[in-house]
Amino acid sequence: MSGPSDMPSMPYGQMRDQALRNRSIHTQLMEMVLSLRQTVEDNITQLMTRHQQQDLALEKQRHNQAVRDQEAFLGHLMFQMLHYLQSGATGDRSFQPPDASMDSRVDVGGGQQAQSSRQTCQTFYQWSDFEDTFISYDLSNRGTDISALYHSSFQDYNTYQGNKYHKDKNILGYINLGTSENKICIDLLAEKLTQTDMLYTDEDLLQYPDWRGQPFLRKEAAWFLTSYCKAPARPDPENVVVLNGCSSVFSALAMVLCDPGEAFLVPTPSYGGFIFSTHLYAKVELVPVQLESQVTEASAYPFQLTVDKLEQALLGAKIEGKKVRGLVLSNHRSPLGDLYSRDSVMKYLEFARKYNLHVMIDEIYMLSVFDEAIPFHSVLSLESLPDPNKTHVIWGTSKDFGISGFHFGTLYTRNREVASAVSSFGYLHSISGVTQYKLCQLLQDREWVDNVYLPIYRFRLQEAHRYITDKLKVLKVPFLNRGSGLYVWINLKQYLDPCTFEEELLLHCRFLDNKLILSHGKTFMCKEPGWFRLIFAARPLLLRSAIQQFHQVLVEQGQDWGVKQLEDAKKEELSTSQPAAPARVDELCPEPSGKPDPAWTVPSASAWARVPCAQRRRASPGEDSDTDCASLSAGGGSSSSASAREALAALQGSCALPSALSAPSWVSEARPRGFRALDSPPPRWTPRARPSRPHGARGAGARPAPTSTPPQPLCPAEGPSIGWAAGGGGAR
Amino acid sequence: MFTLPQKDSGTPTTSPGSVSTQGLHSNRGDGLEREGSRKPDQKPLKLYGVGDPTAMFFSDSPYLSSRGSTIKWFWDSAEEGYRTYHMDEYDEDENPSGIINLGTSENKLCFDLLSRRLSQSDMLRVEPSLLQYPDWRGHLFLREEVARFLSFYCRSPAPLKPENVVVLNGCASLFSALATVLCEVGEAFLIPAPYYGAITQHVYLYGNVRLVCVYLESEVTGLETRPFQLTVEKLEMALAGANSEGVKVKGLILINPQNPLGDVYSPGELQEYLKFAKRHELHVMVDEVYMLSVFEESVGYHSVLSLERLPDPQRTHVMWATSKDFGMSGLRFGTLYTENQDVATAVSSLCRYHGLSGLVQYQMAQLLRDRDWINQVYLPENHARLKAAHTYVSEELRALGIPFVSRGAGFFIWVDLRKYLPAATSEEEMLLWRRFLDNKVLLSFGQAFECKEPGWFRLVFSDKTHRLRLGMQRVRRVLEGKSQVAEDAPSC
Repeated sequence: MSGPSDMPSMPYGQMRDQALRNRSIHTQLMEMVLSLRQTVEDNITQLMTRHQQQDLALEKQRHNQAVRDQEAFLGHLMFQMLHYLQSGATGDRSFQPPDASMDSRVDVGGGQQAQSSRQTCQTFYQWSDFEDTFISYDLSNRGTDISALYHSSFQDYNTYQGNKYHKDKNILGYINLGTSENKICIDLLAEKLTQTDMLYTDEDLLQYPDWRGQPFLRKEAAWFLTSYCKAPARPDPENVVVLNGCSSVFSALAMVLCDPGEAFLVPTPSYGGFIFSTHLYAKVELVPVQLESQVTEASAYPFQLTVDKLEQALLGAKIEGKKVRGLVLSNHRSPLGDLYSRDSVMKYLEFARKYNLHVMIDEIYMLSVFDEAIPFHSVLSLESLPDPNKTHVIWGTSKDFGISGFHFGTLYTRNREVASAVSSFGYLHSISGVTQYKLCQLLQDREWVDNVYLPIYRFRLQEAHRYITDKLKVLKVPFLNRGSGLYVWINLKQYLDPCTFEEELLLHCRFLDNKLILSHGKTFMCKEPGWFRLIFAARPLLLRSAIQQFHQVLVEQGQDWGVKQLEDAKKEELSTSQPAAPARVDELCPEPSGKPDPAWTVPSASAWARVPCAQRRRASPGEDSDTDCASLSAGGGSSSSASAREALAALQGSCALPSALSAPSWVSEARPRGFRALDSPPPRWTPRARPSRPHGARGAGARPAPTSTPPQPLCPAEGPSIGWAAGGGGAR
Repeated sequence: MFTLPQKDSGTPTTSPGSVSTQGLHSNRGDGLEREGSRKPDQKPLKLYGVGDPTAMFFSDSPYLSSRGSTIKWFWDSAEEGYRTYHMDEYDEDENPSGIINLGTSENKLCFDLLSRRLSQSDMLRVEPSLLQYPDWRGHLFLREEVARFLSFYCRSPAPLKPENVVVLNGCASLFSALATVLCEVGEAFLIPAPYYGAITQHVYLYGNVRLVCVYLESEVTGLETRPFQLTVEKLEMALAGANSEGVKVKGLILINPQNPLGDVYSPGELQEYLKFAKRHELHVMVDEVYMLSVFEESVGYHSVLSLERLPDPQRTHVMWATSKDFGMSGLRFGTLYTENQDVATAVSSLCRYHGLSGLVQYQMAQLLRDRDWINQVYLPENHARLKAAHTYVSEELRALGIPFVSRGAGFFIWVDLRKYLPAATSEEEMLLWRRFLDNKVLLSFGQAFECKEPGWFRLVFSDKTHRLRLGMQRVRRVLEGKSQVAEDAPSC
C-alpha cells in the first residue's frame, strides 16, 4: 500500500463519543472541569521536568511556547464549555473532552502545515499519542474524526514536508526515514519519464475514461502481473481494476466487502495505512492477530504468523460479537521485511476458505526483493487458489518503481462482482488519462524494466541495506529484515526505561528533535514497545547523515539512562565495560573496516550478493544449515553469549551480512567498536535490568533457533564470538 | 457515530420491479458522465423530494456487503450505458453509422488547441518531488497557481490564498469528500432540480449522504422571470419539507453556471441564496465548473468569489475543475476553495484517496500559468467555437419548432420535447430516449436530472461540426417521424 503510514491504532474519538453520549450534560461539564484542572497540573509538571532536561537556549523558547499553548488551550476549553452550555446537550453533537493535547493551531484548523520547528517534542507526543481534540462546528462528527486521525497521523509527515533536509539548502531539515518511499532510483525514473514518448496527449486521454482504468492500461497491467508474478495463466484484463493508489483500492474493497462496523483480520505489526484506509471512509474495523518477536515452540521465527494464531484471533473477535469478513495479508510483510513462503500462504488461504473469509493480499513490494536467494511467491503464481472468488490481489508502482506520486494502484480479482463494485469508485479514485498513458509506457518497456531498472534498483537496495545494517550492527541495534523491501525493523527496547509505548513515543520524539523521522512500532499496531521501522531506500549521503543523527539520539538516550544507571551501578557492582557507550558520531562515519561507503558506483561487495543465502550460511562456522533465513540479524535484546552466538548465526543466515565477511572478520571489525569479551557484563547504558519483564523483552533476541534448542539468554560464553549482538535490555 | 445502513443485509428486500429496471435503463448511454439518480416513487408533494439510493435496489451477493451491493449496482447501470455507447461508437471513417454522443457533457471542440499546448516541451518536466508523496492538499506550486488563476478569472475583490486551496482528482471526489466531512450518514444536501445527476452517486458512495431536491418548474409564475427559476421561497419549502420528514439538511449545492439549464445566477440571486443558507446554518457548495464556458458575453457571469462580502464565508465552498472549461475531463483535476480551514483540512485528510499525479499537477500549473495562451488563444477560440455550435443547434431546434432553455453558458441546451410524449410520464420519456438511441444518437433525458416534468432532454452541442450535423439529422428524423403535435413556435 502506499502512503506515509504512521497512525495510532485506534480512533479514540469514537469510543469516547459513545461513552459520553449517554451521560448528562452535568457529568460532562464536570468531566471537563476536572480535565481542565488535570491538564493544567500535568502541563506544569511537564514544564518543570522539561526545564531540567533541556538546554537553556531552548528552554526559554519552549517555555514561551508552552505558555502560549497553555493560554490557547484554556481559552479553547472555556469557549467550549460556553458553547456547550449554550447549545445544550443534544444527543448527536457528541462532545469530546479535551486532552492535554490541545494545540492552539487546532483552532485555526492546522491548515498551515507546520512549517517551523515549533514542533517540539511535546506537541508530537501529544498529537500522536492521544486523539487530539479537533473540534469544529462546521464539520460532521466523522469529519472531525477524519481530521483528527489525519492530524495525529501525519503530523510528522507534514512537518517534514515543510522542512525537508537538503544537502545544500537545508542541512537542518528533517530527514525522513519514516515514510516508506523508494528514493534510490529517482534518477532512473526521471530519465525514463522525461523521454519524449512520455509526452503524448490525444482525445481519448482527455475525455472521460473507462472508470475501471483505460483498457490499454488494464491490459498492460494484466500482462505485467503475469510475467512478474509468474502466473500460470495470463491474467484477464477484465479482472483488473485500476485506481489512484493502493490505499484507494483498499478503501474501496473495505466498502464493498464490509458493512460499517464489520472487520478484517490483520496480522500485526502491519502496515499502519490499513487502519487509515479501512477507517476513514469505510468504518471497518481491524482485528489484530498479534504476533510476537519471541521465538517459542509455536513460532519458529520472530513474528511468525500461524494458522493457530489466526484462529485464535478470529475466535476472539467472534466472542466479542464482531463480524469478520476478511483477512488482510501483505507479502512481503510490512514492516518486517519478510516474505511468506508458498506453503504458509497456502495455509492462510485455506484458513480463510474454511471460515469463509475474503483474503486481500497486498504485494506492493513484489519487485523489491533484492536477495535473489529469497524466493517471492505471488499469490497469482499459485496453480490453484483455495477460494479464487475471495482472493484479491493488490499491487501498485509506488514502492517497486518509487513513484508514489503517480498514484497508481491495481486490484486483481477473479470475482466480477467485487470488480464491478470496486469500479463504482472509479469516479472518485480515477487517474489522469495522461498518467495512465505514462504508466502503460513504463510497464510495457520490459526491456528497460528487466535490463536496466530492476538490476540497478536491486543492487542499490542491497548496498543501502548493507550499509545500514552494518551500522546497526556496530551500534548493536538488533533488527529484522530478510532481503526485501525498503526498510529494516529495528528493536530499540534496550533504550526504553521502562519499556512502554510512552517511552517509545518519547524516543520517537527524541529522533524528531534531532530532525530524524522514523516510524515507531505502535503505528504498526505492534504489541511490543520499542520497535521502529527505518527506511534505507535513500541516497547514500542522506543515509549517512541520518545514521549520524540516529547515533546521536541513541547516545543521548543512553546518557539519560546512564544517569540512572550510575545510581544503580553504585549499588551494584560496577562493570568494567560500563561505559560501553557507542562510538562518537564522527568516528562512525568512516566504515569501521575501511570498506567503501555505498557509493553506487563501487560494486565492491556486489559479488556476494550472487552467493545464495544457503551457501553463505554453509560457509559460516557454527551455523546450522537449516536455519530459516528469516532471522533477527542481531542478537536482539538479550546480551547473553548464547544469544550472541545465535545472533552470529542469525547474521550469517540473514542476508544482511556481506559474504566476504565471515564471522572472524566481523569480530575483528566489531572489536574496535566497543567489543567486549562475552563473559564481561553487557553494555550498561542500557536500561536498568529489571527483575522481570512481563512482555518478554528478551524476545527481541529471539530468532529462528539454529538448532532445536530455544534461546538461552544466560548461557555462558564459549570461544571467541562477537560483541555487537549485545545490548539487550534483558541482560541480567 | 456511525449508524448501520437503512436496510438489513439479511432480509431480502423487494422493490418494485419496474423501479430497478427503470433505473437500469435510465443510465444506458449516459453512464459515462453521470448517474441519473433513480428515485423510484415520486413524492406526493411536488415541491421537494428526498432521495435515498439505498431504498432502491437490493441484491444479495454472497461476496459483497449490503452496501457493496448497492455500490455495485451503480456500476452495473453505468456499465450498461458504457457498453451501449462504446460498443458502437461513431467514427467518421470506421463506423459512420455508430452512435453519436450528444449526451455526455464534454467539450470536444478544442482538442487541437489542448493537445498542442499539452505537448509543448515545458510540460515534460520530471522532478523527484513530483514522483513522491506530495503534500496531500496538492503541491504548493499548484495551489499558488490555482489561487492566482481563480483570483483573476473569478474577479475576486482580494487575492485568493493558496492555503485555502485543496487540489484533488476531480469534482466528483470533491463532492464525495465534502459530503463525508460535512454530514453524518443519512443527512442531506439541498439541490435545485433539474441538476447534474451524477452528484447523487458522488455523495452517496462513500458519504452515504442524500440529496433533497428543490423541484423547479418550467412554467413561469408569480414573480419569476424565467423557467426553472430558483427562489428562496422554494428553498425554504424544500428545507421545511425535509425537516418534517426528519431528514437533517446540512448544506445547499448550487451549480453555477447551471447544468443542465445553461443559465447563470445573478449576483443578487446568489446573495439571496447565500443569505438563506446562512439563516439556516447551511453550508453552500458552489460548483463553478463551467465558469469559463460562458460564451455569450451578454450573460454577465459572476462567480461567488467575486462577491464583495459573502454572508457566511466560513460555510461557502467553491469548486472548480478543468474538466469542462479546458475540455479535459480525462485529466481529473479539481479544486476546492474555502476559507474554512477546518473544512479544508478535513477534505485534505481524505486527499490521500483522491490524489493527482505529481506530473499532472505540474502540467496543470504550467497550463494555468500561461495566461497569454489562455487569454489570447484558448478562450477566444473556445468561446467562438462554442457559440457557433450553439447557434447551429439552436437554429435547428427553432426550425423544428422545439422550445428550449439556454442562455449562452455551458455545453448543452435543455430541450423541451414534452409535446412528443403521448403521455406525460417518465416511461414515455424513456421510450423516446430509446428511440433516439435506436437512431444512433445519444441524449440525456430529464429524469436523470431529477426533472419533475417528463419530456425534457439535455442536448450537448460542444462537438465537432460533422458529428453535430449528423446528430441533429438523427434527432430530426426521430422527431419528425414521431411528432404527435403540430409544430409550435418556440416558447422560450
